[in-house]
This record gives sequence, C-alpha cells and structure tokens, in this order.
Amino acid sequence: MDRQQEYVLRAMEERDIHFIRLWFTDVLGILKSVAIAPAELEGAFAEGIGFDGSAIEGFTRIYEADMVAMPDPTTFQLLPWHGERHGTARMFCDVLTPDGDPSPADPRYVLKRALKRASDMGFSFYTHPEIEYYLFKSGTGRSTNPLVPLDSAGYFDHTARGTTNDFRRIAIEMLESMGISVEFSHHEAGPGQNEIDLRYADALTMADNIMTFRSVVKEAALAEGVFASFMPKPMAHHPGSGMHTHFSLFEGDRNAFFDADAEYELSKTARNFMAGVLHYSREICLITNQFVNSYKRLWGGAEAPNYVCWGHNNRSALLRVPMYKPGKPQTARVEFRGIDSAVNPYLAFACILTAGLRGIEDDLPLPAEAEDDVWALTDAERRALGIQPLPRSLDEAVRIMSESELAAETLGEHVFEFVLRNKRQEWNEYRAQVTVYELERFLPIL
Amino acid sequence: MPGPVRPDPPGAGGRIRSAAGDLVRAGLADATRAAGLLAELGRAGLDLPPAALVGAADPDLALLTLARVAAAPAGAEGLAQLWPDGRALAKLLAVAGGSAALGDHLVRHPEDLAVFAQPDRLAVPDAAPGPVTGPEPTERQSAWRAAMLAAVGADPAADLPVAASPAPEPLRLAYRRALLGVAAEDLACVQPTQLFPQVGSELADLATAALEAALAVARAATPGHEQARLAVIAMGKTGGRELNYVSDVDVIYVAEPSGGAVGESTALAVASQLAVALQRITFGPAKEPVIWQVDPNLRPEGKNGPLVRTLSSHLAYYRKWAKTWEFQALLKARPAAGDRSLGLDYHQATRRFVWNAVESANFVEDAQAMRRRVERHVPPAEAARQIKLGPGGLRDVEFTVQLLQLVHGRADQSIRSATTLTALDALRDGGYVGRAAAARLADCYRLLRVLEHRVQLQRLKRTHLMPAAPADLRRLARSAGLGAATGEDLEKTWLATRREVRSLHEDLYYRPLLPATARLSAGEATLAPDAARSRLAALGYRHPDGAMRHIAALTSGVTRQSAIQRQLLPVMLGWFADGADPDAGLLSFRRLSEALGSTDWYLRLLRDSAGAAERLSHALAASRYVADHLARAPESVRWLGSDADLAPRSAAQLRSELASVVERRDSPEAAAMAVRGLRRRELTRLATGMALRRLEDGAARFAVSSVAGVALETALELAVAAVADEDGARLTDLAVIAMGSLGGREMAIGSDVDVLFVHQPRPGADEAGAQSQAEAMAARLRSLLGGIGQEPALRIDADLRPEGRSGRLARSLAAYREYYGRWALAWERQALLRARPVAGDRAVAEAFMALVDPVRYRPGGLGEAELKDLRLLKARVEAERLPRGVEPSRHVKLGPGGLLDVQWAAQLVQLRQAGERPELRVTGTVEALEAAVAADLMEAGDAQTLIASWLQAMSIRNANVLWSGRVGPTSDVIGSDPRQLRGVAGLLGYERGAGSRLTEDRARLARRARQVFDRLFYA
Repeated sequence: MDRQQEYVLRAMEERDIHFIRLWFTDVLGILKSVAIAPAELEGAFAEGIGFDGSAIEGFTRIYEADMVAMPDPTTFQLLPWHGERHGTARMFCDVLTPDGDPSPADPRYVLKRALKRASDMGFSFYTHPEIEYYLFKSGTGRSTNPLVPLDSAGYFDHTARGTTNDFRRIAIEMLESMGISVEFSHHEAGPGQNEIDLRYADALTMADNIMTFRSVVKEAALAEGVFASFMPKPMAHHPGSGMHTHFSLFEGDRNAFFDADAEYELSKTARNFMAGVLHYSREICLITNQFVNSYKRLWGGAEAPNYVCWGHNNRSALLRVPMYKPGKPQTARVEFRGIDSAVNPYLAFACILTAGLRGIEDDLPLPAEAEDDVWALTDAERRALGIQPLPRSLDEAVRIMSESELAAETLGEHVFEFVLRNKRQEWNEYRAQVTVYELERFLPIL
Repeated sequence: MPGPVRPDPPGAGGRIRSAAGDLVRAGLADATRAAGLLAELGRAGLDLPPAALVGAADPDLALLTLARVAAAPAGAEGLAQLWPDGRALAKLLAVAGGSAALGDHLVRHPEDLAVFAQPDRLAVPDAAPGPVTGPEPTERQSAWRAAMLAAVGADPAADLPVAASPAPEPLRLAYRRALLGVAAEDLACVQPTQLFPQVGSELADLATAALEAALAVARAATPGHEQARLAVIAMGKTGGRELNYVSDVDVIYVAEPSGGAVGESTALAVASQLAVALQRITFGPAKEPVIWQVDPNLRPEGKNGPLVRTLSSHLAYYRKWAKTWEFQALLKARPAAGDRSLGLDYHQATRRFVWNAVESANFVEDAQAMRRRVERHVPPAEAARQIKLGPGGLRDVEFTVQLLQLVHGRADQSIRSATTLTALDALRDGGYVGRAAAARLADCYRLLRVLEHRVQLQRLKRTHLMPAAPADLRRLARSAGLGAATGEDLEKTWLATRREVRSLHEDLYYRPLLPATARLSAGEATLAPDAARSRLAALGYRHPDGAMRHIAALTSGVTRQSAIQRQLLPVMLGWFADGADPDAGLLSFRRLSEALGSTDWYLRLLRDSAGAAERLSHALAASRYVADHLARAPESVRWLGSDADLAPRSAAQLRSELASVVERRDSPEAAAMAVRGLRRRELTRLATGMALRRLEDGAARFAVSSVAGVALETALELAVAAVADEDGARLTDLAVIAMGSLGGREMAIGSDVDVLFVHQPRPGADEAGAQSQAEAMAARLRSLLGGIGQEPALRIDADLRPEGRSGRLARSLAAYREYYGRWALAWERQALLRARPVAGDRAVAEAFMALVDPVRYRPGGLGEAELKDLRLLKARVEAERLPRGVEPSRHVKLGPGGLLDVQWAAQLVQLRQAGERPELRVTGTVEALEAAVAADLMEAGDAQTLIASWLQAMSIRNANVLWSGRVGPTSDVIGSDPRQLRGVAGLLGYERGAGSRLTEDRARLARRARQVFDRLFYA
C-alpha cells in the first residue's frame, strides 16, 4: 500500500466518511459513479472495483464488458454537499480491462495517451477553461412550460437580488474546498447565464476538475432550489454556453509559446500549434461540439466562433491570441473558442493537443491573421480569403470526422468508431423530430 | 591483516649477470634506452636493480616515468625519501608501470610521492564480509569525509560544512592524491581479484566523501544555500559501493525547505543552484583534471525532469509513473552527501517501491525483457570488445543478480544488499542459487571488474573496452595479476569468462527450479516451494504449482531420459516463458516426452541439435495446434532439427510420395486415409514453420493450397477407379475445378475447399449412365476425403455449382455450356473468376475453362443492372451473414474492410475490365489488385490499403487457428479473451502483452480498407 492510499484510508477514518464515490466518465462525457463503503476501499486500491460496462455508453463490447475501476488516490476529495457529519468523498478512476490494461474506452486513458505523446516531445500541456452555463428557476423548455431564467441581467451585471451572486459564492466555496481554484466569475450576456473561470492546470487535472465542476454547480443549484444547465444552446434567442479554453505548452518551466522577439510574443512553436489546431478543427469538431444542440450554438448567431481563422483580440475568430501582459512570459497562450460547455473535456483536450502537436511535427505554416470581423464578410469574401466554416450540423461533423486519421489515432479505433456510431444515431433520432417551429410555421397554413 | 604483497625488489646483492640480459628478463622492450634511463637515475643517487621492474605491468613505462619524476623540481628528493622503503618503492613502480595518467600526475605533483609511504589500508579479507551498505557510516567512510572536507577548508564537524573558497582545484588535487593511494595498493597487489571488493568500496567511499566536499565548495559559491536541505543520493555503482576508477557517479537530488519560513519553490531553486554548482566543481573546466562526471539522469522523468525534487514529489512519481527498471535502479540508492536525515528518509521511503516492484502489473514483461537481454544469443557487433555491456559482460552479471533480488527480495530481507557480490553471497546462503554456480559467477565478476579497472587506470579514461593489440593485452595481463600470461592467454580467458557468465545465468535462474530429487551435484540449490512459486510467477507461469509438478515429473528418476531432461529443462523453462502460454508449453512438453521418452533419436535431437530444443519450446508455448499435432505424430519433432525439414514440400515431391504410399494400400478407403494422413503431416509442418515464424504467410497459403490440390488429385484417381470398377465400365472423364480460396491459392490452415465437378461422357457412352457415374465419382471423392476417419477430413464444398445445393453434383460440359449460356448471374460470373483446374482429366478441364472464360471475362464488362444486382447482393451479405453478437470490426472475414470487402473490390475490377484486359485474368486476390494497379484501373494507394487489410486479416485467421488449435468459423473473429489475444498477437510477431495494440491495428487497417471499398464498390 503506498502512502497516498494510506493517507486516503486515514482521512476516511478521521473525517467520518461513510461513502466513497468512485467516479469515471463515459465516452459522451457523462459522469458515472459507483458508491462503495469504506471497508471495501482497501480492496479497491489493490484490485479495483469490477463492474459491468455493457450499460455504459462506449464501454460495451470490449472484453465482454467486464471492467475494473481503479481509483486514483491522488484525486481523493470530500464532497462538500453531503453535510459534515457523515461525509462522502470521491475519487476519479482509471478504467481497466480485467487483465489490467487500460480500457480503450476510457476517456481518461485517451487523454493520458495524448499527454504521453506530448511528454515524449518534451512538452507538458496546460489548460484554462471559461465555463458558461445557465441558471433557471423553472421550466422544461416546452412551449407549455417555457424556461424561466433566474434573472434578466447581462454581461458583468451585478444583480441586486443576489440569488445569482449567492449561488456563485456557494459554488465557488464548494469548488475551493475541493481544491479547485477559481480565477474569475461573473454574469454572462444571457439572462441567468454565468461564467466561472478555473485557474489553469495540467490538462488531466483540469479535465477531472471540469467534471467535478459540473457536479458542484448542479448540486449548488439544487440546494438553492434552482437548476443549472450546461446545454450548449438552451434558448434560441439568447447566447449559447461555450467553454472558451486557453491552452499553452511548457518545456520544463519555460512557456514554449513565448518568444519575446516575435509578433504578439508568439513563438514558432505556438504558431505551429495554432496552425495544427486550425487545420484539424473541422475534423475534430464532432468532439469539441458533440451534440445536435451544439450546432445551434455555433450557427445561432450571437458571436459564436464558427469560421476557421485566428486573430489577435478578434472576437469572431475561432482561435484568439490574448493580449500579452508585459513581464509575464508564463501567461503566453492561445484561446480556442469553439468548445461548448457540454463537451467531454478528456476527449476534446486530447484532440486539440494532438492537432497542435501535429502542427509542430509537420511544421504547418500559420495562415494569415483574420483582421476583419469574419461574420461581416460575404461568403464569397470568406472563400477568397480561404476561411472555411466549421461543420454546420452534427451530420456534417460526423461525415468530416469519419475520414479523419488524426481523430482515429487520437481517440483510438474503439472510441472513434463508437462516437461515429452514436452520433449517427443521434442525428437520425433528431431528424425524425417534428419541431415546434414546424408546427407553428406550417400547421396553420398547410 | 595485510594481504599478500609483491615481494620486495631484490637487493643489490644478487648474482651478477649481464646488464642487457637482466633488462630483457625484467620485461623491458627497449634495453638500450632502459640502460640509459637507469644510468640517469643512478646519477641522481637512485640506483635501481632491473629486476625490481619485474612487478610493473609496463616496465618501460615505469622506468620512463621514474626518470621524468626525477627530472622534475623536487622530484629527485621525493624519490630519494621513498627509496629505502621497499613497500613504498614497490607501490611506486606498480603505479608508474600501470597508469600513464597517474605517472603524469606524479611528474606534475612530485609532492604526492609521499602517498606511497603511507601504511596500507586495504587487505584481502580472510573470509569475505561484504562491504557495509547500511545507513551508519563506517570508520573509513568518516575518515575519508573528514579528509576531503579538510582539503577544501571546511569543518567536518559543522552541520553545513562550507569550503574556504569556491574554487574546485583544492578538491580535485586532494581527490587525485587519494585516488593515487588506492591505485597504488591495488596495482601492487598480487591477488587483485581478491582485493577487488575492498577497492570498489574504497573508491565509492572516496567518491561519496568527494561529493560531500564538492557540496561544501558549492555552498561557498551559493549565497542563501542554507535555505534548502539538499540530500545527494548515490545510485548505481557508487550506491552499491562497488565503484570503478573512472565512472560516472550516478546521483539523485532531494531537497526540502530548511525551515517553515522558506517556501518550497525557493528551496528548490536554491537546491538546483547547489546541484548545478556541484556538477561544475566536479567536472567543469578548471586547472586540475576533472574528478568524474556526476550523472543525474536516473532521476524521475530522466533528462526532461527537474534536477531537484522534494521527497513527496519523488514518491508521487514512483507511485504513479515509474517503470520496473527505475525500481531496479533504486535498489542501489544510498544517501551519499548533504542532509543526512533527508537522505535517510528518501532511502527508507523508496525501499517499499523496490521490494514491491514484483507486484506491479508490468513486472513479468519487464523482467522478461531483462532476461532476454541476458539470454539473447546473437551479440550486437559493436559490443564485441565491451567488458561491461557486451554479451557475458558485467551488466549481465548485475542484471542476473538484481533480477533475482527483485523476485525474492520482497519475502526475504536478507538478500537486499546493494552490492553485487554481497547480494550474490546472500542469494547463495538463502538457497536461491546454487553454491557452485554462485562461486563461479563471483569469480567471473571479479575478473571482469579487475580487467575493467586496469584498462581504466592506464589513462584514467572512462572506457570499458578490451584492448586488441597484443602488446596492450600483454600489459593488461601483467597488470591484472595474471602473472606470466601472454596477451593471447588473456584473450582466451576473457572470452571463456563471457561465455561462462551467459551459461551461468541459466544455472542461477532456472536450475534451482528443479526439485531436490533432480539435483545433479551437491553444489546445486533447490528453491523452497514459495521461492519456486515466486520465480515461476515472475517468469510468467500462471499456475506455478502445476508447473512444479510437471518439472518434478520430467526430471525425477534414474533413466537416461530424466538425466537428459535435467540438463535441458532449466533453459527450456525460460523458452516456454517467452511464449504466450508457458504453462501449456510445459504441459505439452511433458506429454511429448512421455510419448517419445524411450525413443533414441528424440533425446539425441534435443541434446545435440543446436536449436531443436529451443524451437520445440517456442512452438509448444505459442501454438496449441502445433502442440496437438506434434503429440499426434511425435516423429514430426524430428523436423525441428533442420530448416530444410520445416520448409514446405513441393507439389511434385508430395505427388511422388503419395503415388508409392497409395500403391501399398489394398482398398480405396485405406489409400484415402493415407492421403489424409499425409495432408495432416504437411499441415503440421507448415503450422510449425508458421508458429516459429520461419515460414512467411504468403508461402504458407500457397503451400496449404498445394497440399489440398495434391490430396484432391490422388483421391480423385482412387474414386474414379473405384466407381468405374463397381460399374464395370468407365463411361465418362471427370475433372475437378478449384474455386474460392483453393482457386486463388490462398487457403488458410483449416479452410474447406470449394470445387466444381465437370465431366465429358466418353464417345458412345450412354448419357444418363455417364451422368450418374460422374455424380457417383464426385460423391465418392467427397466421402473418401471428407468422411469420418482417424485422419482429419478435408471437406469438399460444391455449393458454387449451378443451382447450388439443389443442382446436380456434377454436370457435363454440355450442360454447363447450356446453363452459363442462358443463366449466368453476376455472382456466378464472380465466383468463376477464381476457377482453375485442380484435378482429374486435363482435356475436360481445359475445355471447361475455355467454356467459362467468355462468361467470366465477358467483353463489355458489367451492365448497369448487373452492377446494381452485385452491389445489392454485397449489401445483403453484409447485413445478413455476420453472426449475431460479434462486433463487426472484430470479424476479419465479413466485417467492414475484411477479406470479403477486399475480394469484392478486386473482383469488381475484373468483372468490368477483364474482357478487354487479359492481364487481369488471375485468380488470387492480391494478384488481381496488383494487376489492376498495373493496368491503371486502380490507384496504387487504394490497392495498398486493401492489400494491407487483406494480408493482416489472413494472418490473424491463421494465428487464431494456431493459437487455439481449433479450425472453423471462430478463426474469423478476433477473440475478446485477453489471453488468447496475447497469444495471437505473439504469433503475429507483436511483442508480448500487445493484445490491445493488435485490436487497435486491425481496426485501423480495416477502417481504411472499408473507406476505400465504399468508394470503389458502392460509389
């Protein structure tokens, strides 16, 4: 038994913890949880907890569905929302096959593999997400029961009747108590829409943090009698919820994106990385924007980044280079604005990282910067400038990714195949819907 | 007690001989020059009898060095002081003749001559108490530490000794002087191999003290150094207290803040400065030569990791990321310098990782890689003259000992020493290795180490290369205490030692697995049951108890067989362990041995034939098919002795063998059984070749097809004759047309054969009678080859005939002509693409081919409607034929991108174009695709993608059969059982444990092939 495991066992006793939740993530980015009693924990460290993967998205059909969840003791945390007396704690798990190999269906493993590749090239990968979500008082979104946002404030507004503020305070306290640092939080543009920025961390920790974050926000909302949603575009006329994410590569202690002498202080490594991300952004769009609804955000107006281009402080660009803060070379980074809040962060980080690394390996040249507002251009102008659109629908995203060697390599053949199959099915189900729009538009006249 | 020393140089009172003769007898090559130099020394009052030079490895060099020292300022006085002291003079001459670099040092620093006058510190021990590697410093370690610290002006009693100046020179001079002292005693010793453990630990202690002093110098150069507690951990040979003269000193740095007020990052930054300074002081540029290179690359993450980490950061790394080799390296860790309590904490906290490494998931595989390294037969060419890394070199000895320590050290604390020889003694005392083998290995190790030391001392360069020139070899032999040995003798001794190290690995690692009843001599060990279990488990045996039973059964007893097996089995245990299923390999071997035990040639083959036992072990552990077939026909084991016997037999060879075999049988049934037996034998041959990866897949497919063809030919002759006999007359001539994979000459082991039967009634014969006779002949052929019998059946499938199963089994040429003229459907034309004559009447077969050529190679290709039908048919096959419950991508035949997709893609091109393009008229899939590319009808890239998937799928099929021993539809599926997957991957040449890589690779090639197929076939 190693020391970290001993620490966990001791902490369990000292803090009177009655349940441990073992967390892992399915291929669609939904958190899965197995609760075990403390007495079973020692066995879980030694041999993992077996479970039947056949009911879990993406885990079926490998090795007859028998899976082992192996808790990672370094992720041990008390869950703040279950009261102090009889506490509950959680640990993230790696999912293994019965003979101890990493399961090819485990998103955490997909990311670890990509990080290994980065580390073989001498890089570590850091991310910093800005997560947007909505808070609703009530409603299901059907026409008979419309969504009622918690407030009607706007960007950076301070809301007077403080539910939103209180809520953010509670959520942030919970996050901090779990060791997840919050850098920034404010009201977003939509009514009831909030944004919380997590302090940058290595990509694996951050992906774990994002999964935790979503649970915390949902729990905190329930405690306040409201509900929170990370759906990419819950309301047609209000902005969607994106997860703009800042990325940087470090070589040891040195930020590899920084070069004091280059334009925007962006090193050649950074430029190649950006070129790679842009080059492959269409192929991995199905991962960064994985639901039918994601494309409503991308193509529903309201400044969503839907064209493949980059700019310096250009809010219409898919990839943005933030202003350099003099004297802070460590903060050099690029911001990818395509991802939405319902993403599977493990898979998305893995794909973006691999795309960027490919850019570095292949020495891809960075296209010219987009200086105009790309939304204001005509289609012909964009074509002339070589600016391509992201896929316009889930269907198109599926078709583009199905030909992508990069995506197959990054995700592994199993996840790759599962995602395509699952998303084709989602598209088919969606296509079969008769929407409110159709009923309202056509029923009266046809 | 002082050990034996070289005799004092004879005094001047010896017999008077001729001066030149004395010089030559003393080993001097250049007598004239030597006489001059001696005279020169004499003029300085330093008379030296030539015989005194006998003890020097290189007397010429020794004399020249003395003369140079004498000529240096203060040199002559220094020498004069030593002259009366016989022991001091002996040491001086040994150094002067054994090390050019130390000689140069004396010329520059004659004041260091005083070192020779010091009393001896090292002694050959009576009984070898190994060097101490525990935490408490020995007296000698403390003395070195004090001396080195004093040399740099630091206070040895201080908590944080700080040097008087940041200059590296005082330390380097002091170190060199100390090294001179050690070298002097070592070189002057007549039994250097016995003295070696003392020399190794002395050099390590000196190095440790030098690290401490270097750290004191580094502190003097680093303001704020007290903010960090820095511990330097010695690794490698320094850690094991068995250091070389010139070697990298492997270290790891651990640091913590020195008090609550200091932040971790500040402490790490300061500690890193200290570490960098320490490296500069030991081997940065300076006026005095470097001490040695400090190598910190064994640290977590190697070169990419931070130079200094906190203790918890080290532990976090070892807990999560470290590999087996890193734990192996940690075995040698020892606190060397700096903060002692932090160093001890590190040492203690890391022991757990070392001694539990055997439990980690990858241990078996990693240990196997270590074993393979030691056991590999072919030495890499560049390592030919390596003392350290070459085959049978020092590294092999160390790996062997460390592997045994890791395997058994978890349960037994007594074998955890970091020092190779001490550990080896402890392994012997614990009964883990045989007494005799351990003693021989220790002797080899000492000799190799002494050779390495002597080679290094010559120029104080880090080298591990044996010299090649005879003169250099001779000097080395003299220097290593091998007395009058010539260079040639030394070369022989060295090569024999290397060979012995290799063979001893087997004795140490495997032989103790034999039960006590199998001991050949008293010097051998038998492992206690628990230890045997651990060792078998570390080898990869899943059922150690069962394995132990088999081993006992194979080696106990007094027969000649068990005596030979006692010799062979230890190493075979290692070979089985290289295969995917060691347990099955061992069990199969036991079965074979029981079946063949008394057979004379069997034992002779295993004992005498180079490689036969190894091949047998590999084949048995890799393939159940081979194991079953060899058990069925044990005489086939004979083939393992020669490559020629494992090569496929040509069709002509098989035909002539069959002709005589058949002739000797009375009934057609008995003759057909002989045909089937021959086919079984040939499949065994091919399977063995494949399992040993000595038969290339394409050649195997061709050979399997050709064996089937010959079997058909012979059996058809039997059937025709039998039916004609029964009918009283021969009414018709029958031919067999190969279809499917037989037609394409791409059969897998275990494939059925697809055929058509065609006949031509003889002139004047009754049509109806001829027809029924042809059908009877065909039916007889099928029952002769496919019926129940002791020999495996060859199933003959004629379902591709017109009207399928409801059609007549055989048709006449005329009937075929009429049928194809009217009815030929697209799928029938497609099936005919693979038709070729295989057996029976040649003229009928040729007429048939002439008849079908215009059907299959129809000018104008495919019509729109036919194309549509073909696509529809393929789509239906995809939807319907895949068995339920099988993931499509795991089905190598029917799954996406599988065999069928590739075949259809090739055949589509043929159906469309072969009418116009005769070069497309081939029956093989790969041939057809290549022809399509050559004819510019397919992109080369597309064809490559398709071929890659096809070849992989075919190989997986064969590997499935070989692994499981079962033929049939299961061989089309990549199994989900991890063990099977590993076995199959192993047969395909993947490194062990790569089952998931195989699945991934298959999915990738299949996906790409499917994309190409979709585009070529449906679009």
